[in-house]
Amino acid sequence: MNNPDEPLIDNNDMSESPLSKADPAVRERIQSLVDKQPYAVLCVQGNNQPYGALVAFAFSDDLRHAVFVTPVATRKYRLLRECEHVAFVIDNRSNKADDLMDIEAVTITGRSQMIERGREFERCSGLLVTRHPYLKSFVNAASCALFRVDVVRFLHVARFQEVSQWVPTARS
Amino acid sequence: MGSNRPLLIPLDAPGQWDEQLVGGKAAKLAQLMCAGFEVPRGFCLTTRAYEVFVKEAGITAAIRMELGRKSMEDMRWEEIWDAALRIRSTFLAQRLSGLLRETVAEGLRGFDASTLLAVRSSAIGEDSAGRSFAGLHESIIGVRGQQAVEDAVRLVWASLWSDAALLYRRELGLDPVHSRMAVLVQEMVNADSSGVAFARDPRNINRECVVIESVPGPCGLLVDGLVDPDHWELDRKTGCIIAWLPGQRDDMQQHAPLLETRDLEQILDTLLSVEQLFGWSPDMEWTGKSGSLTVLQARPITAAVSDENEKRAWYLSLRLGDVRLKELRTRVAEKLIPELQALGQALAAEELELLADLPLADAIEARAAAIARWKKIYWDDFIPFAHGVRRLATYYNDAVRAQDPYEFVGLLRNQPLVATQRNDAIGNLAQQLAANVMLRSAIERLLAEYAGSLRWPTFRDALMQIADGAGEFVRGFDDMNDRFLDITYDQERLHDQSESMLRNLIELSQAPNPSCSNQQLAGDSAELLRKRLLDAVGPQRREEALEVVETGRVSWKLRDDDNLLVARLESQLLRALDVAAKRLRELGRLSGKGRPNDTHVDSIVRALREASTAPVKLEATAKVPARQSSFTQPGETPRQLIGQPASPGVATGTVRCIRGTGDLGKFRRGEVLVCDAIQPTMTHLVPLASAIVERRGGMLIHGAIIARELGIPCVNGVRNAAETLKNGDLVTVDGHLGIVTVGAAEFDLELGVKST
Repeated sequence: MNNPDEPLIDNNDMSESPLSKADPAVRERIQSLVDKQPYAVLCVQGNNQPYGALVAFAFSDDLRHAVFVTPVATRKYRLLRECEHVAFVIDNRSNKADDLMDIEAVTITGRSQMIERGREFERCSGLLVTRHPYLKSFVNAASCALFRVDVVRFLHVARFQEVSQWVPTARS
Repeated sequence: MGSNRPLLIPLDAPGQWDEQLVGGKAAKLAQLMCAGFEVPRGFCLTTRAYEVFVKEAGITAAIRMELGRKSMEDMRWEEIWDAALRIRSTFLAQRLSGLLRETVAEGLRGFDASTLLAVRSSAIGEDSAGRSFAGLHESIIGVRGQQAVEDAVRLVWASLWSDAALLYRRELGLDPVHSRMAVLVQEMVNADSSGVAFARDPRNINRECVVIESVPGPCGLLVDGLVDPDHWELDRKTGCIIAWLPGQRDDMQQHAPLLETRDLEQILDTLLSVEQLFGWSPDMEWTGKSGSLTVLQARPITAAVSDENEKRAWYLSLRLGDVRLKELRTRVAEKLIPELQALGQALAAEELELLADLPLADAIEARAAAIARWKKIYWDDFIPFAHGVRRLATYYNDAVRAQDPYEFVGLLRNQPLVATQRNDAIGNLAQQLAANVMLRSAIERLLAEYAGSLRWPTFRDALMQIADGAGEFVRGFDDMNDRFLDITYDQERLHDQSESMLRNLIELSQAPNPSCSNQQLAGDSAELLRKRLLDAVGPQRREEALEVVETGRVSWKLRDDDNLLVARLESQLLRALDVAAKRLRELGRLSGKGRPNDTHVDSIVRALREASTAPVKLEATAKVPARQSSFTQPGETPRQLIGQPASPGVATGTVRCIRGTGDLGKFRRGEVLVCDAIQPTMTHLVPLASAIVERRGGMLIHGAIIARELGIPCVNGVRNAAETLKNGDLVTVDGHLGIVTVGAAEFDLELGVKST
């Protein structure tokens, strides 16, 4: 007999969770979060050293790609050049302890690629400038590099520990 | 803040006087109109229209970025002006959405297409709290047609963030998220005379009299101070004229009063009626005469503010109109600068060593008095005239709508500045050394020999003896030294700093381009920009545009030159003090290791005049840095400093701080020049630098302009730059973003020892 107080699906163990066909509601919640939050924590690594930095981001409509920009004279740029495996954390925290159960967060894993000037740069920088018009000169500065992250997986967290996964596919 | 609030309210709509929606000016005019006063008809674009515009255009974030770069308390006036210019540019770059365009069109339906309109600011609370903020925001007159009105509306909105408004940001409660501005669009009324009137004397509010001032033509001429008004004082109760003072105008009828008794009576009646309506004594702008008197504005009289210590008021007084600027241009360029030049030359030619003690004392006093006089002129005339460049900036940007708000700087190029002539002379000497390796080696050997105690006459003689072909170099050096380095920097005469200059020349001679003149002009040529401007303003405003350009160019040139010319006078005072100090020292009447400076004038003059006075003692004065690094605790180090991106490019190099004359000669090519502010006296170092970092901020300051012209990255406005960065620090200067990264480009990762 099922215990009615337990969650119907245990989302904490992702390896065993067949969640690539997630409830459409998960995608909508992810979409809502990335639409509402302009900034994300970018997680990078190098020489076994993790590193995090706040960045302004934008997503493609199909959520398969995220874009951001960094000045080249930065630690995150150097680490991005060293290792393409990255993660983003986006959340709607209000920094009040009482809101714990209201917080939604999404951890996004993927692979980054620096985009050279050209048609793809125009497309990606267009996404970013549309989302953050005040960053236009920053995005186009000669001393900045634009990166596109090809998303592998979204991990959505709500109600403190309720975790859902969504892997965007070509059809999604 | 519901979205059902209207975007537009006609001035004659009854009861729509919510100041939060229409601003103070429009609310009062609407009330006057409803009460039957003659007010030019029009409409108000409400504060909601502003909100819609800034939201659609994403301007709030742009304003926050502009104003959040550093604490406003740390921003100099020039930086505030720069921030306002860029915000204004952001407003101009965004077009009105379909909804707002339709709203403007709706308002304009009440007017004939040919009607001339005034587009005026109506900010919330600008005329309240016992203080008027009149003049902080923009009003534009003579506007005709939908597009021109839209352009004018954006300019008026942008003026919510004018440099003047930013200076008074605390009093105005200016805040990028909540501040809003309504705009009043009214038909212009052409009348023979206009003026201002006060229901009570603003200088003494308790006097029972009204004050009326009138000028021929529009009221703006009076408000902008361009025309001297006729001035009346009338008894409040009887209307009798207590005083009349004719305006000093250059017209035929300057002795006949502009207003007749019946005109004065109607103005008095109107003032008192307005007072009765609002319950406060008004300060009123009006136009027309009896029978057709129109009220343009009414606000409470504010008592004269004591601005003796109010430097902001002085700064605002610098915003001169074109007529005043042109007058000042004539005075500065044709009278003051030539006079200052001649004085500097005359003083430099005086053979002070031949003077007896009393004439020497007189000469010292005369020089000190001349400096005091010219420093006053510097504040009274030279600095106000510097506004000519700012006037050119806004004029050019309004007309051309350039993407880069500093594109106009190209119009200032190719002028024979004193500093440019000096740098050309230095460049020629460097080229001689580049071409004559033997001569350069000889100088290097002698520099090593005389290091720290070099006196040019001795060095010159030694050089002539050991180096072939030194004659031309020596003559050139003497000429350059006398013509251009007889100036002070950091309370010392550069004329006496030959060792520094020789070391700079060695460095310059080894640079890829030894000439330190501004050869690599970046951006479009002055001629192209001039054409761009003239095309934008059209043939009708051609003459006006050329005048603005010319005033801007002269203003820029003289603003650079005047610093050097005043520094030349200071050098002449130091020279006289040096002669006197040497003489007194030889007589045993002066001791101490210090060098005399302007604080010793009185004691040295007294010693020269009266042999019985006590000996003068010159203490060596230690120079204390004016500022401190923000990183004072163990373990605290700067990693990334932010400032203004003043010249694009990225360069990595080691820091060389220039804090005084002693540092000039230490500068090596490829180093990053870090200083409080690049002075006109040190611009010859710029071509040696791989990048520039300054504490002083601004896009129009010497360092920024020269760096842009030479294509050297520059970040300025960096807080405590010269105190925070140390000689030898490796930095990367990003002139695109305004960032200075401290440390190696290859960062140390956290590979620390594992704890066990």
